[in-house]
Amino acid sequence: MPGVRLDGIVKKYGAVQVVHGIDLVVEEGEFVVLVGPSGCGKSTTLRMIAGLEDISGGSLTIDERVMNSVAPKDRDVAMVFQNYALYPHLNVADNIAFGLRIRKESKDKIASAVEEVAGILGLTPYLERRPADLSGGQRQRVAMGRAIVRRPKVFLFDEPLSNLDAKLRTQMRAEIKRLHNRLGATSIYVTHDQVEAMTLADRIVVMHDGRIEQIGSPMDLFLNPANTFVAGFLGSPPMNMFTATVVAGPNGPVAEFHGQSLELPNLDALEIGSEITLGVRPEFVQLNDDPNAPGVKVDVDLVETLGSEALIHATLNGSPFVIRTETISRAPSNAAQQSFTIAPELLRIFDVETGVALPGQEVAVPENAA
Amino acid sequence: MSDATGPNQENGEGLVAHLIDHFKKEWQLYVMLLPTIAWLVVFLYKPMYGLQIAFKDYSIFRGISGSPWVGFEHFETLFQSEQFIRALKNTVIISFYTLIFGFPVPIFLALMFNEVLNRWFKKTSQTIVYLPHFISSVIIAGIVMTAFSPSAGIINTFLGWFGVEPIYFLTKPEWFRPIFIGTGIWQEAGFQSIVYLAAIAGVSPTLYESAVVDGASRWQMMWKITLPSILPTIIIMLIIRIGNILEVSFEMIILLYQPATYETADVVNTFIYRQGIQGGQYDLAAAAGLFNAVVAFVLVISANTISKRFSRTSLW
Amino acid sequence: MSMKHLYSKGDRRFVLINSILIGIFTLSTLYPFIYITSLSFSSGFAARAGTVVLTPIDTTIEAYKYVLAQPMFWISYKNTFLYTILGTLMSLIIIIPGSYALSRPQLKGRRFWNLVVAFTMWFNAGLIPFFLNMRDLGLLDSYFGIIIGFAVNGFNIILLRNFFEGIPQSFEEAARMDGANEFQVLWKVYVPLSKPAIATVSLFCIVARWNGFFWAMVLLQDEQKIPLQVFLRHTISTLSDDNEFGASLVDATYSAETVTAAIIVCSIIPILIIYPFIQRYFEKGILLGGVKE
Repeated sequence: MPGVRLDGIVKKYGAVQVVHGIDLVVEEGEFVVLVGPSGCGKSTTLRMIAGLEDISGGSLTIDERVMNSVAPKDRDVAMVFQNYALYPHLNVADNIAFGLRIRKESKDKIASAVEEVAGILGLTPYLERRPADLSGGQRQRVAMGRAIVRRPKVFLFDEPLSNLDAKLRTQMRAEIKRLHNRLGATSIYVTHDQVEAMTLADRIVVMHDGRIEQIGSPMDLFLNPANTFVAGFLGSPPMNMFTATVVAGPNGPVAEFHGQSLELPNLDALEIGSEITLGVRPEFVQLNDDPNAPGVKVDVDLVETLGSEALIHATLNGSPFVIRTETISRAPSNAAQQSFTIAPELLRIFDVETGVALPGQEVAVPENAA
Repeated sequence: MSDATGPNQENGEGLVAHLIDHFKKEWQLYVMLLPTIAWLVVFLYKPMYGLQIAFKDYSIFRGISGSPWVGFEHFETLFQSEQFIRALKNTVIISFYTLIFGFPVPIFLALMFNEVLNRWFKKTSQTIVYLPHFISSVIIAGIVMTAFSPSAGIINTFLGWFGVEPIYFLTKPEWFRPIFIGTGIWQEAGFQSIVYLAAIAGVSPTLYESAVVDGASRWQMMWKITLPSILPTIIIMLIIRIGNILEVSFEMIILLYQPATYETADVVNTFIYRQGIQGGQYDLAAAAGLFNAVVAFVLVISANTISKRFSRTSLW
Repeated sequence: MSMKHLYSKGDRRFVLINSILIGIFTLSTLYPFIYITSLSFSSGFAARAGTVVLTPIDTTIEAYKYVLAQPMFWISYKNTFLYTILGTLMSLIIIIPGSYALSRPQLKGRRFWNLVVAFTMWFNAGLIPFFLNMRDLGLLDSYFGIIIGFAVNGFNIILLRNFFEGIPQSFEEAARMDGANEFQVLWKVYVPLSKPAIATVSLFCIVARWNGFFWAMVLLQDEQKIPLQVFLRHTISTLSDDNEFGASLVDATYSAETVTAAIIVCSIIPILIIYPFIQRYFEKGILLGGVKE
C-alpha cells in the first residue's frame, strides 16, 4: 500500500517554475531520501508534502487521500526542521507535548506519551530543561521526539543533521536509522549529503534542477547510475569521467583515449568509432604492483593516507583522476607513475551527448546490500 | 512530464480559485490584521478626507461634505496674515537652532560615554541622562517655570549672587528660544545618544586592538576609529532630522509661551491650535495644517530616499 | 578593553577629564530634580525668598498636605491610572495581532498593508481634522475616546513587526504542523518568544499614556475625567498667575512654588518606579523600531 504518492507535482513561484513534475511513490514504512545539490527543489518538494507550500500542479496523495488543499495539521504528517524550531520558552517535556496539547489530548495520555517518547530517545533525564541548556544532539532528539509523539503516518525530515558537527552527525544518523527500524513509519528525508542518503535510505531519489534524475536503492544507484549527474553526485570521491573513442579490439570493443586503452564490456549499444563518456569509480581500480605493467598509466600528484585507505590524486592525460585503495602498502609515493587495470563490467559507459548510461550494462546488486 | 499541468493554471479562473483557497486557509491572518487597519482608517485616514475643509467654508452645521467650496481662499488669507508668516518663520528658526545646537550633543555624549571605563559610573550616568526623556512636558515646563521664576527661581537666585536684578525670563521674547532649545537638549540629548552608542557597540574590537598595537592613544582612537565608524549613522540621523524640521514639540511651546513671547515663540502648530481649536476657525487652521503636512511629507520622503542611498537600510 | 594598567599617562589623563565632563553633564541632568524635591519640602517663606539651592530649608511637608487634600488630585490620579492601564491594554490587543499578520510572508498584499501603516508616519492630517473627526465620532469628553483614540501608532507596529520577522519562519511552520491555528501560533509561540519587544512597546505605551497632556486637554471638558497632567498644568498655571494666592501664602508654610514642586514630585514617582524596568528594554527597543526595511 502506498504511503505517499506524488503525481506530476509542480511548483511555481509566479512565472518561475522550480519543480517540474515529480512522480514518486513512497511505500508504507519505507525510508526515502531526496538528495541533490542545493536549489534542486528537494526541500520545496518536501514542504509541499508537508503543506507548508502550495502545490502549483499535480496531485499529492497520502494514505489514499488527496491532500493538495488539506491543511498541514490534517495531513497526519510530522516534520523535523533543519533548525529544530524548538520553542525556547518551553522545557523539553512541554516541547514534546506541544502538538498533543494543541490537539486537546487528555492530560494522562499526554504524560504517558511524553514519557514513552523520552524513554525511546534517552531524554528522560532532561525533561525539565529548556532547549538553551541542551547539547546539539539532545536538541536534535527533542525535535524528533516532538515529531514521533504524535504517531503520524509520515515523517518528514528537512536536512535535520546539517547543524551538527561531523562526529555527532554520524552518531545521530545511526540513531535515526535505528529509530526507523523500531517504529517502521513512512519517512521522507531531505539532504544534500550523499553519505546520509546512502546510509539511511531504503530508496534514494536523486534530484537535479527540479527533476528526478534517478530513483533506486543506494547500491543500485551506486553501481548503476542512470546518467553522469547521478554518477558524479553519489560516491565519495565521485566517479572519474572522461571522453574516449570506441574502437574494435581482439576480444571486443576497446576504449581509446590519448594513446591509452581500456577493454569495454560487449554492449549492443556500443558503436565502433563513436565517442563515449567513460566512468571509472575510484574504488574499482586495480593498482598494478609494477608501475610499468600493462594497463592505464596515470601520473601521481599526491597521496592522502587516511588510515584504513589511501586516496591517490593523479592526472590522466592532464585531467584529474582519483584512485581509492585499501592496500596502503601498495600506495605509490608522490610524483610517481602508476598503472592500473579495471574489469570491463565495472566501467560505466554514458552517451557523450545526453550523459545517459548506455543500456545493457546493469550490474546485479549483491544480495546483502539490497 | 509536461510542465503546466494541474488545477491551478495562470488564467483568471485559476487565480480566483487560488485566492478562495488562500482565504479559506489563511483567513485568520486577515482577522488579525483587521483591527489595526480599521483603527488606522477611522482615526488617521478619515481625517485625511476631512482635510478638504481647507478648501471649504466649513460650518459645523453643514458638515464636511455639505460646506461650500472656496478654493484657495484660506491659503491666500494665511499668506497675507502676519501671524501665520511669523509662525512659519519661528518654526524654521527654532528647528534650525535646535538642529545646530542640539544635533552634535548626543554624538559627543555617546563618544564620551564610550570612553568611561568604570562600568558602574557609566551605567549610573546613562540611567540619569536618559531619564528626562520619560518625564512629561507638563512637568518639564513646570520645572522650567519654577526654576526661571523671577521671585523664587534658582536661576535668578544664582544671578542674584552676582548682583544681577531678577529677570522675568518667560515674559521676554529674546529669552524664549534659548530656554526652549536648552530645555529640549537637556531633556533629549541623553536619550538620543543611544542610537550612537549602539553604532559604537557595532564597531569591531579588532580595529581598536590593531590601533593599540600601532601605538594609538585613546584620544586618537576616538577621532580616528570611533567617529569615522559611526559617521554613516550620524549622516542618516542628520538627514532624518532635516526631514523632520517642521516638527517642533509644540506641546512644550503651548506650556511655556504666553502672549508676551508669541513674537518669537509662536509656531505653525500653536498657531493652528489657537486659531482652530481655541478660536473655532477650523477651515483656516486646517489649511495651515495641510500646508504644514504637505511640506513635511515632501521633506520626510526626500530624507528617506536620501538616507536609503547612504545605507541599504531605510527608516521604514 | 580592560587593560587599564597598560594605559599611558596621556590616556589616563584623557579618561579622567572625560569622566569629569560626563559627571558634570550627569549632575546637571539630575540637579533640577533635586532642586524641585528640595523645594517641595521647604517652607513657603524660604521658597519665596529664593534661598533653596540644594537641600530643603525649614523642612516641612505642608505643601504635600495641601496637594493631597485636593480632591481633584486624587480624581485625576485615578483617571491617569485608568487611561494608562486600559489604553496600554487596548494598544496591545490591537497591534500585537496586527503586527504579526504584517510580518507573515503568506499575507496577500503585504507590501500594501505595510505601506498603509508607514504612510501614517509620513503624512499626518493634522490637529484640526483629527479633532473634528473625534467630535464627529462622538468621542469628545469621553473616557473611551481617550483610550481608543490613541491606541495605535506606526512606530510601535513596525517595532513589533520587525521583531516577529526576526523569528525563524520554521517556528510558525512547526506549530502549524503540530496542529496550531494562527491564533495559537501567535499566542503560544510568537508572543512568548517576543517578550522583550512586547515589553518595550508596553512601556512606550505606558509612558506615553502617563505623560499624555495635549489631547486630554483638548478633548476633555468634564473635570471628573481629566488626567493628572491636565490637573497638574491647571494647578501650575493657576498658582503662578494668581498673585493673590501667592500673596496669601507668603506667611504660610507653603507657597505656590512649593505646592507646584510637590505636585511635580507626586506625578514623577510612578515613572521613577517603572523606570528601571523600562531601562532594561528601551535601549534595544529603540533600535528595533528604528532602522530596518
